[in-house]
Parts: sequence; C-alpha cells; structure tokens
Amino acid sequence: MSTSTSTGTPPGTARPPAPVFSVDGLWKVFGPKAGRVPADPELTALSPAELRARTGCTAAVRDVSFDVRKGEVFVVMGLSGSGKSTLVRCLTRLIEPTAGTIAIDGEDVRAMDKSRLRELRRHRAAMVFQHFGLLPHRTVLDNVAYGLEVQGMGRAERRERAAEVVAKVGLEGLEHRRPGQLSGGQRQRVGLARALAVDPEVLLFDEPFSALDPLIRRDMQEEVVRLHREEGRTMVFITHDLQEALKLGDRIALMRDGRVVQLGTPEEIVGSPADDYVRAFVRDVPREQVVTVRTAMRPASSADEAGAGPALRPEATVTEAIEAVARAGSAARVMSDGRCLGVVDAEALLSVVAGTADTAGPVEGSRAAGAARVDDGASPPRAKPGAGEAPAERREPTNPALATTEEPV
Amino acid sequence: MRLRTTAVAGALLLLTGCGAADMTEQASPFANAQGARTVTLSVQSWVGAQANVAVAQYLLEHELGYRVDTVQVDEVPAWDALSQGRVDAILEDWGHPEQEQRYVEDKKTIASGGDLGVTGHIGWFVPTYFAEEHPDVTDWKNLDKYAGLLRTPESGGKGQLMDGSPSYVTNDEALVKNLDLDYKVVFAGSEAAQITQIKQFAKEKKPFLTYWYTPQWLFEKVPMTEVKLPPYKDGCDADPAKVDCAYPHTPLQKYLNADFAKRGGEAAAFLKKFTWTTEDQNQVSLMIAEQKMSPEEAAKEWVDSHESVWKAWLP
Amino acid sequence: MATITAPAQKAAPPGILTNRAARKLLTLAVAAAILVPLAVSQWGGTTWPSALTVDVSGPLGTASDWIIDNRDSHPLFLYFFGHVSNAVVISVHAVYLALLAVGWAGVTAVGALVAWRVAGVRLALGTAVAFLVCGLLGMWVPTMQTLALMVVAVVASVVVGALLGLAAGLSDRMDRVLRPVLDTMQVLPAFAYLLPVVLVFGIGVPAAVLATVVYAAPPMARLTALGLRGADKEVLEAVESLGTTARQRLLTARVPLARKDLLLGLNQTIMMALSMAVIASVIGAGGLGDRVYQALASVDVGAALAAGIPIVLLAVVLDRVTGAAGERLGDAQASPATWAYALVAAVAVALAGRFAGLLEWPEAWEAEIAGPVNRAVDWMTAHLYSGVPVIGGTADWAGHFTTWVLDPLRDGLQWLPWWSVLLVVAALAWLIGTWRTALTAVLAMAAIGVLGVWNPSLDTLSQVLAAVAVTLVIGFAVGVAAARSDRFERWLRPVLDVFQTMPQFVYLIPVVALFGVGRAPAVAAAVVYALPAVVRITTQGLRQVDPAALESARSLGATSGQQLRQVQLPLARPALLLAVNQGVVLVLAVVIIGGLVGGGALGYQVVFGLAQGDLAAGLVAGAAIVCLGLMLDRVTQPTERRTTKGA
Repeated sequence: MSTSTSTGTPPGTARPPAPVFSVDGLWKVFGPKAGRVPADPELTALSPAELRARTGCTAAVRDVSFDVRKGEVFVVMGLSGSGKSTLVRCLTRLIEPTAGTIAIDGEDVRAMDKSRLRELRRHRAAMVFQHFGLLPHRTVLDNVAYGLEVQGMGRAERRERAAEVVAKVGLEGLEHRRPGQLSGGQRQRVGLARALAVDPEVLLFDEPFSALDPLIRRDMQEEVVRLHREEGRTMVFITHDLQEALKLGDRIALMRDGRVVQLGTPEEIVGSPADDYVRAFVRDVPREQVVTVRTAMRPASSADEAGAGPALRPEATVTEAIEAVARAGSAARVMSDGRCLGVVDAEALLSVVAGTADTAGPVEGSRAAGAARVDDGASPPRAKPGAGEAPAERREPTNPALATTEEPV
Repeated sequence: MRLRTTAVAGALLLLTGCGAADMTEQASPFANAQGARTVTLSVQSWVGAQANVAVAQYLLEHELGYRVDTVQVDEVPAWDALSQGRVDAILEDWGHPEQEQRYVEDKKTIASGGDLGVTGHIGWFVPTYFAEEHPDVTDWKNLDKYAGLLRTPESGGKGQLMDGSPSYVTNDEALVKNLDLDYKVVFAGSEAAQITQIKQFAKEKKPFLTYWYTPQWLFEKVPMTEVKLPPYKDGCDADPAKVDCAYPHTPLQKYLNADFAKRGGEAAAFLKKFTWTTEDQNQVSLMIAEQKMSPEEAAKEWVDSHESVWKAWLP
Repeated sequence: MATITAPAQKAAPPGILTNRAARKLLTLAVAAAILVPLAVSQWGGTTWPSALTVDVSGPLGTASDWIIDNRDSHPLFLYFFGHVSNAVVISVHAVYLALLAVGWAGVTAVGALVAWRVAGVRLALGTAVAFLVCGLLGMWVPTMQTLALMVVAVVASVVVGALLGLAAGLSDRMDRVLRPVLDTMQVLPAFAYLLPVVLVFGIGVPAAVLATVVYAAPPMARLTALGLRGADKEVLEAVESLGTTARQRLLTARVPLARKDLLLGLNQTIMMALSMAVIASVIGAGGLGDRVYQALASVDVGAALAAGIPIVLLAVVLDRVTGAAGERLGDAQASPATWAYALVAAVAVALAGRFAGLLEWPEAWEAEIAGPVNRAVDWMTAHLYSGVPVIGGTADWAGHFTTWVLDPLRDGLQWLPWWSVLLVVAALAWLIGTWRTALTAVLAMAAIGVLGVWNPSLDTLSQVLAAVAVTLVIGFAVGVAAARSDRFERWLRPVLDVFQTMPQFVYLIPVVALFGVGRAPAVAAAVVYALPAVVRITTQGLRQVDPAALESARSLGATSGQQLRQVQLPLARPALLLAVNQGVVLVLAVVIIGGLVGGGALGYQVVFGLAQGDLAAGLVAGAAIVCLGLMLDRVTQPTERRTTKGA
C-alpha cells in the first residue's frame, strides 16, 4: 500500500531496479533430444517450421531474457502459440526449462532441489489460471485455504485467513458454495483468492480473464488494478489481449514464436513499435490513450507560451491534454516540478490521434493520415499478421490504466 | 515403507492365526451361526438324494434342534468338499473307488457312514412297450439292429444313447466304444431334462435307449426294461477306459467328514444310523417330483406316517 | 439405398473402405495363396489336424491330483493359499454373523438408511421393500449368505482394483502393461474364471469369493486408472503450483477429482460381483445362487423364481443406490448430524427387532410362490409349449430353430476346412481393425485347435452367431423405434434397466420353462441377456447424431425414413459397431452358461469338468472359451477403440 504512488510512475525512473525475477537466455524446447537445440547455433537460427522439420522439436520459448522489478505489473503478451504460457510456467518450473537461467531474488531457481522448489511455490510465487483450476469437491473457503493446508497450517487458522481473503476479493456469503455453483467471474475470484491467501511475493496470472465475458473481464481487471494499488504486489500477467496488457502493464513483453520481440512501457510499444509485427499489432490502439504529453510536446516557442495556458503533468495522456486544450482554447504547458518542459497544442495532439506523430520508427502514417484510423481497408498489406484479436475490443470505452490514479492538473 | 509392509503382513498373520493354515480343515463360513448347531449336507441333483436329505433335514431340525444347510455339489467335488469339512455328510454315494481310496484309506479325512439301505443299480433301459414289440432288443448284441430306430437330430447318423447329468457315474462312452456299438452318447445336461425327454417319448410311444438307474420313481410312470450288457465281474470296471461290462449292483453308502464323525455329537450319530428302504425313498421322491410338493412337505408327510422307522435312528 | 435394410450391412460402406480394405484383402489373399496349399498338403481334412494338437489333459490331470494330495501338506498351501482361504472364510463368517445378529428388521432399517442418505427417499423405500420381499419369499437366510459373500468379495475387489488402478493411473508403464489385460478380462465370460480357482482352493466359499474378485476387480481397476488419468490437467497444475508434494496431490486432488469414476467403478464391481456370486454357486458359493442352481437341476421353475427374485431385487437396489450416489456427488452434502440421527434410528429399529424376537424372519410371514408359479408354468407348458394351432408352441419354435438354424450353422462351420475358418477370422479382424487385432484373433482361434477342442468350439460359435444375429435384428429394430419415439423410450428404459442388472444365471429359468432343454434355450437366454445393451447403445447412438445434420436433411425435405437411412444410421455407425461388439461378448457369456440347460459344447465341458472333478477337461474348455472370447472381441472391435496405433 505504501508503494501505491509508484504505480503511476514509470518504474524505470522511479527507483533503482530490484529484479524479483531475472530471466536470462531462457529456452524451452519440446520434442526428442530437446537439450541439443539451444546449444547448437545452427539449430537456433532456424525458423520454427524448419526446426520442426529438421529435429521434430518445437521451441516454445526461444532465448528469452527479462527482469521483473519489484512492485511492477509485468505483462507478457502474445497470440496463442507464442510461448507466453510456457514461459510463465517455466518461472516456477511447472514446466522444466531446457536452457538458460531463472533467478528469484537472486536465487537460482533451476538449481533448486525438490523441497526448495516446493518452498518457492508455497510461499513466493502463486499462480492464477485461465480455467481457474479449482477443486470441485471443496467449498470456496476450502479452495482458498488449500494453499495454506498444503503448507501444513492448522484447520482453524487457515480457515480464518481464507475468510479474510475471501472477503477481500468480494465473495462474502459464498464461502460454503462449491465451484460448480459459481459464475465464471466468481470462480476466478476464488482462484485469485487462493493465490493471495498464501501471501506470495509474486502473483503469476496465466490469461486469467480470457475465459470470462467482456463485462466481467473488465470488473476483474479493475479488481487486479485495485489489488495492485492497495498491496503493490509484484505481478507477472500473461494475456493475449492488447487492451488488457496496456491497461494493466507497467511494462509489456511482446512475444512472437517464442521470442520477445519488444519489451517496454505501453507507450513505447504503441509509440515506437520495434518492428512491423508490433506495429501491425498496435495499429488499432487509440494512441491518445497511451501516448503521454511528454512524447507529444514540443519545446515552447516563446516565453509567452511557456508562461500561460493549462498545466499538465508529463505523464498525462494525450486524451487528457485534448480535454484541457479544448477547454482552454489554447496550447497547454507540460509542467514538472514547476518547470515547463514544453507545450502541446491542438495540432500536435491531433497528429498523435491521427498516427502521424510517431516519434520513432519508419513513418507510415503520412500517406493515410486520418483514413487509417477509420478505414481498416486502407491498412498496409503487411499489417495483417498482427490484426488478430486486439481490434475486437478496441471500441470499448476503456480508461487508460496508467491514468487512473492521475487527476488532470 | 518396509516397516508398514511388515506390519500389514504381521496383522494378516495374526488375523489368520499364526503359522501354517490348513485350508483342508475349514468349515463353511455359513455353519454354526448364532450358536445353533449346524449340519451341512451335500445334496445331489437327483430326486432320490433330495429325498434322503429332506427327511434327514426335517428330523435334524425338528427332533434334534439342529440348523441344516444344504449345498448342491456334484458327486466328485462333493468328496473333496467333504474332506475339507465344507460339507459334513453325503447321504447317498454310488461308488467312487478312486475317491474312497484317496480320502478314506490314505488321507483319513472321510469316514464311512454305513449303508443307506438302498441298493442302486445303473443300466441301459428301453421302454417296456418297445421291449415287448422287439424282445431281442434287451440283449446288447442286438442293439445295432435298432440303431436306425433310435436316431435323433442330436445323435447324427447313429443311434442315440441318452445320458443324464454330466455329474453321474457313467462308463457309457467307453462302453459304446469298447462294445463297438453304432451309438452316440447324448447328454441331456441334467436329470430333469432327461426325465422331461423320456416322458415326451413315452407320450408319443417312441422308442428310446437311456442310461437309467434304480431305485427311481420314474419307473412307476414309464415302465422300462433293462438291456443286458456283458455281465459284471469284480474289477472289470477298474480301468475306466477299458470297461466292457455292466454296472454293478451297489449298496449305496453314506460318508461323513472324519472330524464330524468323531465330534458331530447327536447329528453324527443320527446320520450314521439313518437307513431306509427303496420303497421309503421312492415314496418321498414321488411326492417331490410328481406331486410337486416341496421337499420339506414331502418329508413331513413321510415322517408323520413312518414314526416307527425313524424313531430307531434317533440317538 | 432403399435396399439397405439391415444396418449391419452398413458396417462397411464401400466408399470409405475400398482402398484400404482392398489392399488388406489382397495382402491376405497372397499370404493365403502361399500358406494354404502348404498347410493342406501337410494336414488335410476339414477339422483341425490332430498332428497339430497338444494333449494337455494328462499334465493338467497330474497337476490337479498333485494339488489335491498336497493341499494339506505343501508349504505353498499351508503358508499362502491356506491363509488366503482362511481370511476369506473368517471374513465371510464374520459378516454373516453380523448380518444375522442385526436381524431382518435391523438389516432392512440399515439398508434403507444408507439408501436414504446417499440416494434419497424413493430408493430408501425401494430398498426396504426389496429386503422385505426377500424375507417374504422365504429367502432371508440365503439372501444374507449371498450378501455376506458379496460384501467380502466387493471389498476385496475394490481394494485390489483400486490398487491396480492406482498403479496404472500413476505409472505409464504399468498402464501399458495392465490395460490390454484388463480390457481382455472384461470381455471374458464369467464361467471361464471358475476352474482355475477351484483347482487351487477346491469347491467352496473361498473359491467362489476369489473367482468373484478376479471377475469383479477389473472394472474397478480400469475406472480408477481412467479417473486418475482423466483428471483436469489445469486443476492438477494449479495444485502443483501451490507447492504440493506428490502425496498431497494424490490425496487432495487426483483421488477426489476421480471420485465419479471411482463410484462408477464401485457400481460396476458390485454388479459384476453379484452376477458372479450367483454363477459361483456352481462351485459351492451357497446362498441364493445355490437355490437357483438346485431348482434348475430339477427344472423347478417356481423355486428358481423364488430365489431369482431376491437376486434381481438386490441387483436393482444396489445398482440404483450406487448409481444415485455417483450422480449426487458435488451436491451439498448432508451434515454429520443427520447421519448420526439416522444411525441412531436404525440402531433403535435393530434393537427393537432384537428384543421383539424378530431376528429370524417369521415363518408365518413367508409366502409360498413356488406352487402357484409351477402351476402357471405347467399350464403354460401345457398350452403354449407345443401344439398351439397355426403359430406352433414354444417348444416347436425351439425345435425348428434347432433344426433349421443351429444345426445347419454348426454343421456348416464344422464342414469348413480349418484353414478357411482361420482365413475368415483373419479377414474380418483385419478389415475392422489392424493387423494386430487380426493376428490376435487368428492366434486365439489356432490355440483352440491346438487345445484339441476345435469341434465343440465351433458348436459354441454357431450358437453365438445364431444368437447374435437374432439379438441384432431385434435389438436394432427396437433401438430404432426407441430413438424415434420418446414415449416408447420412456416406457422401455426401466425395462432395460431391470434386464441389464439381472445376473446372467437368472435368465436360464424362464427359458427352460418355455423352450425345454437344449441349445435353443441357451440361445434364447443369450438373446434376452444381450438385448438390453444392444438396444441401449443403438438408441443412444441414433439420438446422439448431430442435430444439425438431421436438421439440414429435414430442410432438404427428407422423409423420416430417408433421414434414418441416409443420415442417422451412417452417422451412428460407430455406436452400431459397438453394439455388435457388446452383443457378441454378452451372448458368449450366456451361451457358455447354457451348458447348464443342455447347451452342450464348451459350456457343457466346463460343467462336466466341475461335476466330475475332472479339472483337466474343464480347464481345456475354459481356455478355449477364453480364446473364443478373445477372437470374437477382436473380430468385432472397431478400430476406434484402439486409436493410436495401426493402419
């Protein structure tokens, strides 16, 4: 709870990195004699299809490295088959990695013996599953208490603890139901509560909300945001839903074919896609909700400009800036610590909305300015691979996650 | 893990009584329930044997206060069961020299219970109406002449010699072979089936040749005449594969489990003394088989009218 | 299309099979062209060449004699089998004493209580009525004997089965070893299990209990393994992610997750144990089965019925209660308190019964049904049995069936040269399965020849084929009717339920009354026994046909007959094949038991072996039955059941 202020702060700038999970050069290969694949540079260079043809192996995770910092929400995002679920299971060795290193708080996970690994799973990292993974023969309360029971906690104590967590996730009164008698959203709350009950250092989410209805999904997302705000627990969140990733993630690792193609803040992902795949992926994201004025601003052209107009924090989104600019009828100032960093005017804001204001990467927007936002038919041909699932939700009026704690100044 | 295995094994040993367990000395688990003294009698599938058991059971229950279990076991396995103590007594045995040698002489687990009082005889029979029509059929040498008349679908191209239950003492297949007869032995599967078949033949006055035995109540319904086989000589049936002679006249025997004979108290004494005549047995059999009375009713009726006979059996 | 009337013909739609089938047949033809002349030049004739038989009766007889002579002295018997046997006797005795001590009032009350708690009020009433009827028929003591035997056998089967299932569920290697064995044991007739145990334990309760365990444990093992393997992967993963030990996973997740399958296993085990406990009366099990057996020997239908009704009631009640327990899983469970109250009530009833002297069923309350039933049967035999104008009597039917169907079939099979029988078996098994199934089937058939029981086996086979044909014709017809009419199905369902839960033995009683003694009644009993399963599978198969396919056919204006022929039957083909397979397996089981009513052939030889103590003869027949069962199962087993491997 004490860390709640860090949520809105880009973690990189807020505090020194203290990785909870540190993953380096991680490989997971399925198939016969999988171990030889990561070691052989000739094989690692192959495309997935070629690798399969040559060795009969499938590389689900290919040479992945990242750090998960304390207190952040680290989202791994990718389409189905991109290896993201395998990756999260490797973290606690539910799936045994083929090569590479994983460290939790500096301790080598792959070197752990059985009891140490159990200790890790019991106390340090708890997971929430896509299809909930609840025990159908137990009541809600006993499901939530299960992790504690496994640890050997006494019946009365664990039930008491479980009851608290049940209340925390908003399931009061349902303690004695069985999972079969609950709705999908309620079941996932039980799954969440079960993970929370053991008070883990890290929460791992494996596409927890993709089996839920859109409305309930949004409730649950907000629930996660709330929990994170209140407790500041480190979270690793797997999803195939870009909106969800942008909404929840402090940082996002975008995966394709087992590799991480880009790792960065939502703004970096949307604002400066690393390659065409990512670009195609984020093409339909409403930029104004992700891009901050820090990116959109230009230096103040005159002292006059720097001295007047509504003030905005650098982290404010373009959407907020538009509101402020529209209300004031003039350009707005980006202020930090009483200093004016720059200004944003209607023209700059409009070019963000239109997609022409990309600060990095090859410019594609200039030729299709407004049309690209409105008319999908005008999108460049190579944009197709990424057009998968994200657009379905894009019209939903979602609040940009990072802005939720902010008030316009 | 090892400790647990040992403990389980130990518990098992304790449960079953330490050390060796001789399963040849086990009573039936259903015996001696509720403190009642129980006698288990083997009842064979033919009605005569049922008559013996019915009367013995009735008297044991009503005069001596025993509980009687009956188990239907076929003749040969019954010896084994008797030796193991799973049944206490066989009341009518038609002669199993091999078993007698093994259990009575060698192992001494079975004790002779004396004569039943009835003399049994097995033979081949034709209906009297057929014998009157063709008097020479009663000599086995002429049987082949009539094979054509005795043909049925089941016997194929040969004459049919009908046998009953597979459990009965029979040398018929060896006899047919050794006497070189143009016949096939057809098993009816049970005595009941055989009787049904005989009655059907008799109703239509058809000829037939059947394995049959006396005493048997059916003779009163369907008169039959025996076919003379080569005469029985002592030992001519010693090798079952080479038998070429008639069946002997057998004084039917009772056998008791050796242990039961010694410690069976009143029941054992009663069963040893149990002896009656062919007529007595037939009377009860007829009530069971023809009047469809339950064995218990039949026994009651006989017991009520023959007090002098059974009084002598009581210890 | 219009010519297709018997669905059995649909088993091989030419379009799909042409290529593969043709290739298989061609291969087989080439192999036959080489091998057959060789074989014929060596061993001609139609029946199995005697040069290729092995006479095992000598060694088997010696072994049997050795066992009888050493049973009371050899350490193997003293220290192992003796203890097994003792344990069985002691436990059966204990349960039996307990049942008698509780008394009929107590047993009824406790039975009803358990049924009430696990299955509801209606079944509780049913249970109570069932027990009371057992008493009313004068069968209380035999019922308790059978129940005692059952309890011990079921507990042992469940323990053995669950342990095997656990092994197969947790270890892939064990699974690979056990699965084919269990699958095969499942299709073997109960009768085949009797002889080996008799050989070791002699006639009596221990042998009966052990035969029952051998027969009834496989379904428990199969379903346990299935349940453990079928557990929701994500739940197991979730449980593992919480840091459980392997033992915790097993006890808190895998076993509870498999509880539906475990209960189904219990249900099947109970049903098979009951059916076997009755059949085992042939080897001295006592109880109700023995009463039926005695009554059969004297063709006393009334007495057989009096003993048969309690068996059926027991079967139906046990089936329903365990079935309902499975279905009610997951519902809110009763608190221990209600259990306690109910228990107190039951104990009170038992005690009251005890003090009121109601331990033994009062004789005055017994109803005599044997007399009336026998009179009815006599009337029936007098009027229906033979000489009924126009349609003829049942005995006439049986006679005609024997003369015109069974005899030609048997003679035809026995007339076929032995190698052509093998060829036909190979072709059928290969067409419907893989070369493995074909090989198994041929080897099984060859083993029959080697054992020297070729002709009796073909006799049995002819009865099986005739019975299967009749079963399928009636079964498919009824199944189609039930699939098309809801009302008919509703009416049919309880009938099928009852018929399916009846032990095989019970079927022998009415058929003897109707058809006399011989092969025809054995076939009739087999038909009646196999029919419910065939009807049920057919109906289910037809009803599960994709509604969208039916709807599209309807939208194209297909008549209901066209829908049936062109959509439902082709789509239900797997179910129909399964129905054939089940029909064959069930028919074989009863045709074998038909040996007791004059069915002859292999069944008779087993009975003969048991009756004459000539275990060698019986064992050979028993082995032949096993081979025949194996062959028939493989020949009719669709490939779908062994998916992973093969052509």
